Amino acid sequence: MTSAVGYLSCLAAIDLSGLLAYNTLIVAAGTAAVGCAAGVVGSLSVLRKRALVGDAAAHVTLVGVATAFALTGRRDLPTLLAGGFAAALAGLLVLVVMRRYTRTRDDAATAIVLSVGFGGGIALVAGMTARGIPGSAGLENFLLGHTAALTARDAGVLAGVSLATVVVVMLFLKEATLVAFDRSFAAAAGWPVAVVDYLLVVLVAVMVVVGLPAAGAVLVTALVVIPPVAARQWTDRLGTMLVLAGVIGLVSAVTGVAISAVVPRLATGPVIVLVAAAIFAISVLFTRWRSPREAA
Amino acid sequence: MSLAPPLVEFHDVTVAYGRRPVLWNVDLTISEPCLFGVVGPNGAGKSTLLKAALGLVPLAGGMVRLFGQPLERVRRRVGYVPQRETVDWDFPVSVMDVVLMGTYSRVGWLRRPAAAERAVARESLARVGLEDLADRQIGRLSGGQQQRVFLARALAQQADVYFLDEPMAGVDARSQEQILAVLSGLRDAGKLVIVVHHDLRAVTDWFDAVALIDMRLVAAGPTRETLTPDNLRRTYAGAIDVLDEVGRAVQRRSRTP
Amino acid sequence: MTSADFLSEVGPMHGWAMATAAVVSAAAAMVGTLLVVRRMSLLGDAISHAVLPGIVVAVLAGGRPGGPLVIVGAVVAALVTVWLTQVLRDGVGVAEDAGAGVVFTTLFALGVVLVTAAASRIDLDPGCILYGILELVPFDTISVGRWNVPRAFLTGLAVLVLIGLGLLVTWRLQVFVAFDADAARAAGMPVAAATLSLLAATAMTAVAGFEAVGAILVVAMLVVPAAAAELLGRRLSRVMAMAVALGVVGSVLGYLAAWKWNTNAAGMIAVVLGVEYAMAVIFAPEEGLLARGIGQIWLRWRVACEDQLAAVWRREEAAGTGLAAAAAPHGFIDRLARAWLAMAGRLRRVDGEWTLDPRARPAAEMIVRSHRLWEAWLGRHAELPVDHLHPPAEWMEHHLGADVRRQIEADLGWQASDPHGSEIPPER
Ligand SMILES: Nc1ncnc2c1ncn2[C@@H]1O[C@H](COP(=O)(O)OP(=O)(O)O)[C@@H](O)[C@H]1O
Ligand SMILES: [Mg+2]
Repeated sequence: MTSAVGYLSCLAAIDLSGLLAYNTLIVAAGTAAVGCAAGVVGSLSVLRKRALVGDAAAHVTLVGVATAFALTGRRDLPTLLAGGFAAALAGLLVLVVMRRYTRTRDDAATAIVLSVGFGGGIALVAGMTARGIPGSAGLENFLLGHTAALTARDAGVLAGVSLATVVVVMLFLKEATLVAFDRSFAAAAGWPVAVVDYLLVVLVAVMVVVGLPAAGAVLVTALVVIPPVAARQWTDRLGTMLVLAGVIGLVSAVTGVAISAVVPRLATGPVIVLVAAAIFAISVLFTRWRSPREAA
Repeated sequence: MSLAPPLVEFHDVTVAYGRRPVLWNVDLTISEPCLFGVVGPNGAGKSTLLKAALGLVPLAGGMVRLFGQPLERVRRRVGYVPQRETVDWDFPVSVMDVVLMGTYSRVGWLRRPAAAERAVARESLARVGLEDLADRQIGRLSGGQQQRVFLARALAQQADVYFLDEPMAGVDARSQEQILAVLSGLRDAGKLVIVVHHDLRAVTDWFDAVALIDMRLVAAGPTRETLTPDNLRRTYAGAIDVLDEVGRAVQRRSRTP
Repeated sequence: MTSADFLSEVGPMHGWAMATAAVVSAAAAMVGTLLVVRRMSLLGDAISHAVLPGIVVAVLAGGRPGGPLVIVGAVVAALVTVWLTQVLRDGVGVAEDAGAGVVFTTLFALGVVLVTAAASRIDLDPGCILYGILELVPFDTISVGRWNVPRAFLTGLAVLVLIGLGLLVTWRLQVFVAFDADAARAAGMPVAAATLSLLAATAMTAVAGFEAVGAILVVAMLVVPAAAAELLGRRLSRVMAMAVALGVVGSVLGYLAAWKWNTNAAGMIAVVLGVEYAMAVIFAPEEGLLARGIGQIWLRWRVACEDQLAAVWRREEAAGTGLAAAAAPHGFIDRLARAWLAMAGRLRRVDGEWTLDPRARPAAEMIVRSHRLWEAWLGRHAELPVDHLHPPAEWMEHHLGADVRRQIEADLGWQASDPHGSEIPPER
């Protein structure tokens, strides 16, 4: 067995034993929970036609992560992610303000918040690195995702937050569906549609932030977009879609962590995205092949 | 003359989008349950009038009373069918799910609809003749069937006043008959049914009273007395140039030329 | 620091880096203006991510970074992105934003994996993909005649010239399509060609910007100056000129700020562009928050002054007929307005009563005229009880100008009195 593993790793010049390490397994479990929750929350945001709000929030997190590090000097995950979350909320607030007070349309507003926030984050991180502030180089791991550095405790935090998010989604599923499906009707029936909308956006921000360590600021939005879109191919039922999106997110996250643990220098985020995209492609091809949709 | 307050009152209601008034000084009272039509050209502000009644747009002036009370106190007694474009037909919900949404106000936060609500929803579906399609995804229905589903959802609200925004747009003749029959049934059961509609023939044949709207209320009253050629001319070839010009000046916070 | 010191310290190296950022930014602002007004900003975002695999494959196939092969690779990747998004929308029923999200994250991820896998053969590191290496641009030069010119600058300049020429040639088409694509299509204009060339231009800009500022910050150069310029004007040519100016200024200032604070130039450029946008939001001449706030205050003040004048006019009219007139409003601002009018000599106190100065009489009379005309017009055209006509007129009297007053008068058949029987003063 050992020799077989050794042989394989020689063959591919990679270290398979890393895959089976205790820490890798724990981290994989935590990331699995994140992928699953992201699929569930993402389903609602995709249905609410807010697929890319998460992308803006994700890119802005970098400013928050860097600021949290600069202010506290600590680089433990909860501190950094708290900073990222605060920044994501601020970015979303800017989007709300832009929609309310400017003529700038939503697509441009999203691109502005995304790119300016990301630029600010890059400038902060680069500034700290240039000043030789110890530990600041590690912040780059938040760009494309890098789970190898996570501890078991970090994974526990990520899983806990993910679980809590899913619980909140389940509690407000009825209201969120109603608002996403028919906003005017919901408002006329007296539901506070703006509150439900904000709640949903905040949940997406939470998912984007806990997805950061795995997928990175640049690609984490894929975790809340691709699994829901893939799940939608298989079903016309919301409940089934949520479950399937959770499963697809979970599988993508775990596979991504495993592959990047094995291949040196490969960031986790891109792998997760490619796995999810492959599942999406298979979903489209398989469901079309099984029951070609009537021509529109 | 009854002592009960009027069912719906608009007091000098003005609605503006981005400061620009699109509906000017509408003053309208509906006291009796009836089938009430709202008629006017495209962009006249018919949808806006309903939205004002339902509190979906802020009022730039005036006020709305339902059953003599502010809207917030009587939401439960109001049913609504929004204009069709506002809905995503690809949404993964079944016909039954959509109709159940009509019961959500009674179910309240955090709880799921129970057997009683399902019974109401089924019965509402039966009234529009769609009980067989309860499990279909909403996008896999014809336009007429979709409108009937939305009507069923409003029925499931079990309201006393119904607002329907073009429920017969893009609907086949059979569905239109069916919808009008359901609406008349509601009227006969003592409900007030307010319908935005553009088919003047159907309005004359079925509706008890109408309001003619073109950025302002042109005329309102019993159908036969109100749908006169003169009023229709004033509605469809009206004097809205002035309102347009003045509305733009209000938006600019300045004067017209 | 004197400017001479400053220049010598900034040096030619920095000059080239800034020039590179400026040409890329100018090209991006032109393309971005069209993207923003056509509501295609999202596509700019998607394309700047998605060109990565195109670039990597082209480099692996032997292309030089910034060379023709790489540009072709990027344009192909951009077209694939758009095509895939459309297939997802029309064939699979995925909403446009979600579809773009799927496609560009996937392509970008593919690019990152390719870069990582081929690390030994191409020198692009993931960091550079994301935020560029503007500072190193001056060190990779080509000699042109007597000068060593940075390659990235030449690429940027070539793209800028190409896009500029393309715009010159197709300007009227682009304006028409941006203004109303459906009408342009109906008029038989080649809308698809206009769109395709815009996409290709976006891809070329992305390539040019790639080395200098990285994939994501190209988005800043594409969208932010254009969105800011859009708040400052309406005409497309002006908006585009302003976007270019904002982009160039932002790039230079951003570079200098990064140099001063010793940080990443691309990141600072994005931040400075963001600041420019925020300034536009606040200070835009017509739609800025400041202008709107001032406009609101000015309107409130004008209304207060006009109300005072009109009230006095009515009192004087009532004194003639022996009827009582309504009292003037007397809130805080109203009293302030009256005090000001008195100071300016428009109102005078005579025998304990306010009276109009002859200079103020025409203005006062026109307010009352507007009021009564509006009452009469509403009374005729709207179904309103007579006692509901006053409040709307009280509002609109401040918004009617002479032309519309005459138009209303003609519409009313030159009737002489309002629905309450008061005489409508003639136009002055
Ligand atoms: N959300 C909005 N923002 C700005 N203008 C709007 C909005 N909704 C409607 N309008 C404008 O208000 C006017 C009345 O619209 P609407 O009430 O929908 O007309 P109708 O239902 O009679 O066709 C139209 O000119 C329309 O362009
Ligand atoms: Mg309408």
